[in-house]
Amino acid sequence: MKTLTITILLVISSARTMLAANDPETPLTLEQAKEVGRLKSRFLKEARAATADPRGVPEASIAYFQESVAPVLTRSCLACHGPQKSEGRLRVDKLNPDLLTGSDVARWREVYNVLSNSEMPPEDEPDYALADADRGSIVDWLSGELNKASVIRRNNKEHSSFRRLTKYEYNYALQDLLGLPYALANKLPPESASEDGFKNSSELLQMSAMQFETYREIGLKALKRATVSGERPEAVTYIVSMQEEMNKATSGKNAKTFDKNDKSYRNNRNRQHLLNRETGKGFHFSGGKSMPQPEAVTGQTPAASPVVLVLPRSNELKLNLDRFLPDEGIMRVRIRAWRSTMNPDEYASLRLVFSAHTSNNANFSQVISDRDIPVTASTEAPQFIDFDIPLGDIQRNPFRKLTTTFPRRDEFLHIHNVSNAGGGEEPLQVLIDHIEISAPFYEQWPPKTHTAIFIESDNRSEEEIYGREVLTRFLRRVWRRPVTSGEVDQFMALFVEYRPGFSNFEEAMLEVLATALATPEFLYLTQRVAANSPETPGTISDLELASRLSIFLWSSIPDDELLEIAEQGKLSEPETLRAQIGRMLSDPRSKRFSQNFVQQWLGMDGLDSVTHITDSSLQEAMQAEPIAFFDEVLRHNGSSMDFIHSDYAVVNERLAAHYRIPGVHGPHFRRVPIEPQANRGGLLTGAAVLAMNSDGKDSHPLKRGVWMLERILHDPPPPPPPNVPEVDLTDPDILKMTLKERIADHRNKPACVSCHSRIDPWGIAFENYDALGTYRIRIGNTPVDATSELFNRQTLEGMDGLKRYLLTDRQDQFARAMVHKMTAFALGRPLTFADRADIDSLTAQFRKKDDRLGDLVHLIIGSDIFNSK
Amino acid sequence: MNHKSALLSRRTFLRGTGVALALPWFETFAAGSPAADETPKRFVSVYHPDGVGLPLKADPAWKDWSWFPRGGEKDFELTKVLDVLEPLRSDITIYSGLSHPAVRKVHGHSNADQYLTGAATGGHGAYKNSISLDQVYAEHAGEFTRHSSLVMSTNGGVGGPRGAQTQSFNREGRPIPAQNKPKQIFDLLFVTSSKDAAARLARSKSALDLLIANTRSLERQLSRHDQATLKQYLDAVRDTEVKLAKAQKWIDTPIPEVDTQHLHLDAEPKEARLYFQTMYELIYLAFLSDSTRVATFQLGRENGEGPHDLLSMAVGLGGAHGLTHSVKNPKGWENLGTYNRYQAEEFGRFAQRLKDTPEPTGKGNMLDNTFAMHGSASSSFHLSRNYPIISAGGKNLGFTNGRYLKFGKGNEDNQAGAGIVTDAGWRGKMEAEELPLAQLFVTVLQRLGVETDTFAGQTGTLSRV
Repeated sequence: MKTLTITILLVISSARTMLAANDPETPLTLEQAKEVGRLKSRFLKEARAATADPRGVPEASIAYFQESVAPVLTRSCLACHGPQKSEGRLRVDKLNPDLLTGSDVARWREVYNVLSNSEMPPEDEPDYALADADRGSIVDWLSGELNKASVIRRNNKEHSSFRRLTKYEYNYALQDLLGLPYALANKLPPESASEDGFKNSSELLQMSAMQFETYREIGLKALKRATVSGERPEAVTYIVSMQEEMNKATSGKNAKTFDKNDKSYRNNRNRQHLLNRETGKGFHFSGGKSMPQPEAVTGQTPAASPVVLVLPRSNELKLNLDRFLPDEGIMRVRIRAWRSTMNPDEYASLRLVFSAHTSNNANFSQVISDRDIPVTASTEAPQFIDFDIPLGDIQRNPFRKLTTTFPRRDEFLHIHNVSNAGGGEEPLQVLIDHIEISAPFYEQWPPKTHTAIFIESDNRSEEEIYGREVLTRFLRRVWRRPVTSGEVDQFMALFVEYRPGFSNFEEAMLEVLATALATPEFLYLTQRVAANSPETPGTISDLELASRLSIFLWSSIPDDELLEIAEQGKLSEPETLRAQIGRMLSDPRSKRFSQNFVQQWLGMDGLDSVTHITDSSLQEAMQAEPIAFFDEVLRHNGSSMDFIHSDYAVVNERLAAHYRIPGVHGPHFRRVPIEPQANRGGLLTGAAVLAMNSDGKDSHPLKRGVWMLERILHDPPPPPPPNVPEVDLTDPDILKMTLKERIADHRNKPACVSCHSRIDPWGIAFENYDALGTYRIRIGNTPVDATSELFNRQTLEGMDGLKRYLLTDRQDQFARAMVHKMTAFALGRPLTFADRADIDSLTAQFRKKDDRLGDLVHLIIGSDIFNSK
Repeated sequence: MNHKSALLSRRTFLRGTGVALALPWFETFAAGSPAADETPKRFVSVYHPDGVGLPLKADPAWKDWSWFPRGGEKDFELTKVLDVLEPLRSDITIYSGLSHPAVRKVHGHSNADQYLTGAATGGHGAYKNSISLDQVYAEHAGEFTRHSSLVMSTNGGVGGPRGAQTQSFNREGRPIPAQNKPKQIFDLLFVTSSKDAAARLARSKSALDLLIANTRSLERQLSRHDQATLKQYLDAVRDTEVKLAKAQKWIDTPIPEVDTQHLHLDAEPKEARLYFQTMYELIYLAFLSDSTRVATFQLGRENGEGPHDLLSMAVGLGGAHGLTHSVKNPKGWENLGTYNRYQAEEFGRFAQRLKDTPEPTGKGNMLDNTFAMHGSASSSFHLSRNYPIISAGGKNLGFTNGRYLKFGKGNEDNQAGAGIVTDAGWRGKMEAEELPLAQLFVTVLQRLGVETDTFAGQTGTLSRV
């Protein structure tokens, strides 16, 4: 192992030598910068032991301080931070060198940060320059002392991972528990985000009476949706056969048909029409009125019809369903469709829209399908496309039950072709010959969601026994642990009390189950302590680990397999745990991790409130990109340094068009190689980040700088002081300035300089990207000036320079930030100084694993901090 | 009228049984309601669709039939449209230059949806609304009364998106169905007693008992730090218990008795005067009996057919909506003005009734403790600007009346917005500057005792109000 490491280091150093031998004017490529920067890592150099000192109580190394640290501080720092001058109100000569018991830990952390980031001493103060060796020795001493100080504070934690589920976690938990794929928790109020941007942070997850009542309401409603009573209800069914539509439409004498073989067909080709493929006869058709067919049988595969609906790109079929759809239940829309051509660069997909036009101006329409379903089949083998729409959740025509005819009572279903099809003689179109609409639709009766709660049992007729069976099974899933018969007794007593008020067993039981869904053990992530030692933190149990794991990776409760393993006490066995993490990451539910972690880490909510993106498909693509990028790195266990820069992008067609990356077709995200001149790669140049950190018209360097510091480097600037002077845009002198000049002018005000000099330069380096994230080299007639100078006099030449600097000099800081952010998310609590040693230790391991993202997930889950109460 | 004495006896009854009902949970409730013995603060909003008549200054009809008064803040002069309010002059305030910025370019036919919400409800496509002013206050004041609010309209129900038949929207932006039948409203207020409700309540109580026991047993297994977190949950359950106790209290409390002799509970909109007065009387009785402190009343849909169109029959005119479209016909402005005058007259009658009634359990008269709003979300020609708004009362809440408050700039004569003189102009460019109506809403909420400084995304109050 050691040999291997040495070999790698040798290769890297020789690469470096080679580079150094090149023309000194040629800067490193960003990929080279990754290698060079890695060599500078302190985490890789240190042979740190595990964080905790096995010998017991750690002691401060004051002697070393007096001998080696104090003289250097006196030489290089005292002139500005001493008796004569105390810049930043810091006097290093007054700091207590005992970090373990002294009260200056916070100041020492600042000293540590500025020294390890080479921000101090300032580069233009050569008299006080710090030799690398001296800097190293102070940083190492401080790092060790801070760690010890952190360890001894570990036992009096301010924050706990005991917390209630977030709105989104609760929603997923309920969905997974009941097998309902629909949004169930919209009624809950939104969560606020912590300083780190996380919505799952324990200190912010409050509970109120209103919230509690909403849980009860949602729980009962969801249970009622999952279960059924009585006989299978008669479905309302519409069947639209294109053959019949053609017959109806052309039965009159004056029907205006056309012929596919006529020259004039080109005028009709790109408007939706019915076409008899045998005779070539065509007829314009935008949809008609359908009535339910009482005898209709659904789910059939009728013989292929010569008559098809031709649905070109961006066209839609609009079906008037009158007023007969039921209020509740699933509407199954089943469409037999295929593609007219099979060019792989073109795609077509179907989307459902629902609308009503009740009276003049009182109309609405909304997309009701939660995603577009691609049409992939060829003429030879048509496919059935199924949409399941919960009718109770969508906007319906409220007048549908009027006995009068005004306002209008009818409701419309639109089938829309979303496609990138080009033109030409043979454009890609969707062909449809058969449509079924049926509601309420049940795959089987009673549905699985029902039998999962009201399980099959020989004891069904004996309510006392059967009730206990139902409850025991349900409570185990709800509480993520085995239940005792005493606990079941409590709920059975409630059932017995309720039973006379209801006509059947199920209805009474649902009320009881709804009560279980309002218990704290469902709504909260618990961690128990032994009764006799309530203050001793320890290791969480396997069952608690299972919940913590599933909340981290699935934003939801454990499934049966995970729960079973935990019940057997095997989950914490390293091999089992590793296998379970692997299984969970390859489960589709792990997409929730990518989505929720990235949205919160990067603060993507900001994109929802911008108003300057007018193309909704672009906005959606922007929103999805960082998540898809993270997911790509995670799935391939790639290096987190790719977040700073990558030689590939993860885009779909819409976003690729925005970035001017050619050859990307279709709505799905995929990894594509990019050239440096694309000016993309990594998260910093993602359109979402750039657009949400804009002011609606143009880039906003300050927002971008703050975002960089908070989200990427985890070095948040302090909030602006009160009475901060605004930029006065009525001042003609200021109005004349360029944005960069205006910022500089503002920064030069004494009240602003100390913070802004740390923020603005980062943001100015983003100036080549406008408010939509488009790359630019001019703003109006002025060339973009994206060159800035950091606080430590480091020059950043635009985005490329920024990335290069981060990769050569700030890898450790970013890696640590990444560990910090993901650990805070995984634990669902704010991290404090007491966690510092753990985070450092994790960062060292992470760096040794080549910063691989998938490994980080494993490292965090295997860490002491993740397994502690 | 003997209903007042009946109400007094109900209050006496309440006081009398207070002791008998002093179970522990009830005590908690009483202790948790500091405002229980304060004078009620009330809010009512009456909405009429389709705006008002605002002829151009050059039009001969301008002098008599322009809705807004002329003159200054205190020396204003009411035109023929609002002169019926002259006797209440010192109890009303008229506002101009206010509108909701998010919907200034939405056609007036879609306006009833956003008058009390200020949401960007738009003109087409997906639809989203937000909580209405009355419901924000109802969340605050609802716990003191049997009904948190009374939601009424001539057409009833919720209507359709952009065709609302209710003024009230809950916190999720969903419409709250409005009642339109006087008999049903009366029964709801003064007759109904629900066995179902009592059974539901009993079930909830048992469920809460179980949850508390369950929480207690979990609590014992938590660290002290986590116990403190769990306490929040326990408090939430306890608060819910208090609410249940309150609901129980209303089930146990006899419904106030009201003399129905003067009420025409079968009145329908086509008997316009009778219907109108009955609906107002029901709000009055609901307030008088302190059955609720919040009410909204919408006079129908923005356009087209419907019962509200018949209200104009009270002054011998045809379909109300048609009046707004025929202002260019002979006597067009006068006809619309006459109908608007009638609306003001009924509102004035209602305000006067509140003014003539001493506050049953507090200071002053009922009008002094009520902020009563009357208005529309269109000015003229279906323009979603310069809403014509009157408020009455609220003296004890801090409102100074007897004023005409002009806001904004550029339309001092209240001509139809920006010189637009046809129904096709609703999309037109806005030349005049107006202030967000939501700032008046913030003022109202603050004076009703709700701690807030924003509404519908607008921050701050309206100066001078």
